[in-house]
Amino acid sequence: MAVASNVLVGMAEIHVLKGSGGFSCLGLGSCIGLCMMDPTAQVAGMAHVMLPEAFADRAGEKPGKFADTAVPELLALLEKAGARPERLVCAIAGGAQVFKFGAEGTNRLEIGRRNAEAVLTHLKSRGYTPRGQEVGGSLGRTMTLVIETGIITVRTVTQGEKTLCNLRA
Amino acid sequence: MSSETLHLGVMANSVVRELANIGLAHATTAMAELTGKTFDMAVPEVESVALERLPSILGDPNGLTVATYMSIDGDVGGHIAFLMPWHSAQQLWLMLVGDAPTSPDDVSDLHASVALEVGNMVNAGLLNSISDMTGLSLHATPPQVSMDMTAAVVASIVCEASFVDSVALSIQTEIFDLSHRVSGFFVYIPTVGGLRSVFQSLGVLEAA
Repeated sequence: MAVASNVLVGMAEIHVLKGSGGFSCLGLGSCIGLCMMDPTAQVAGMAHVMLPEAFADRAGEKPGKFADTAVPELLALLEKAGARPERLVCAIAGGAQVFKFGAEGTNRLEIGRRNAEAVLTHLKSRGYTPRGQEVGGSLGRTMTLVIETGIITVRTVTQGEKTLCNLRA
Repeated sequence: MSSETLHLGVMANSVVRELANIGLAHATTAMAELTGKTFDMAVPEVESVALERLPSILGDPNGLTVATYMSIDGDVGGHIAFLMPWHSAQQLWLMLVGDAPTSPDDVSDLHASVALEVGNMVNAGLLNSISDMTGLSLHATPPQVSMDMTAAVVASIVCEASFVDSVALSIQTEIFDLSHRVSGFFVYIPTVGGLRSVFQSLGVLEAA
């Protein structure tokens, strides 16, 4: 039996797979891992979002980098691969503030919190509410989706691995 | 301009390497003064990479690291972090505090502040040497510490850095004591403008 491939989704990347395999975002800190899947069409995708919104004065950036461009790009790629928008289910993880010791009140950018809010807003405006979400806090996370099972797991250093949700259930 | 990598020419790369070399000597001295141990250092390897690739080139992305991070204002803005593998941090705590937590959940305020002070000192060693050699000002903001998976820590710094066009320099070296129990390395992300100022002040053409 062939071993299903597990695609590592690096920062600012978006990957879409059809049929089998899976994805991981390794080490989500303030970034967001966004998974979307059409269980019927067996099409799934993952985005590794770094920042809440694209810069108006910079061209040539990867769409996966920003929440406001990553959500529509992921949806477009999923549809192109045969997914139907009304069948898509999603889950998100990340948006942590991993620097929790020292320099109180200097986290002025609060990127993690803003990333989570932005991704949720752009999902909601298109009618999607995550089936599972684990955002905020101070722990770095690794998020994995296996297409065959639809199961999304989230792993942290201190709490180990747990199932976030099942996109097929 | 996008935040893709600024290609450093041979000359520029060797200048950064020399700055790192001198800065790391300062950092090593600071570690030695703090611990009363003798530290040595490997010749640094400087690599400039696209910001987004940085988390994936630094060893085991799921490995546990203790990182001290500072953002930098002044003539050469940017970000700097000193990262130690968890086991090295434990050795350092044993030397300085007398005991060491077994997991990040057990880290006391004392352990956290010792990690913060060590990181603060070695980062300042590197920044001071750049400032001394160039005459440019680099002001570090108060340090912050994270104890978490390496990729998550580095990725969070990369996100902060991506608001301004920046160059990710991984300064892969080892600062180690003579029993090779403590090691660490730097991530230095100057802004493109800041790095240009460094080269200009030293009379180096960046793409030469």
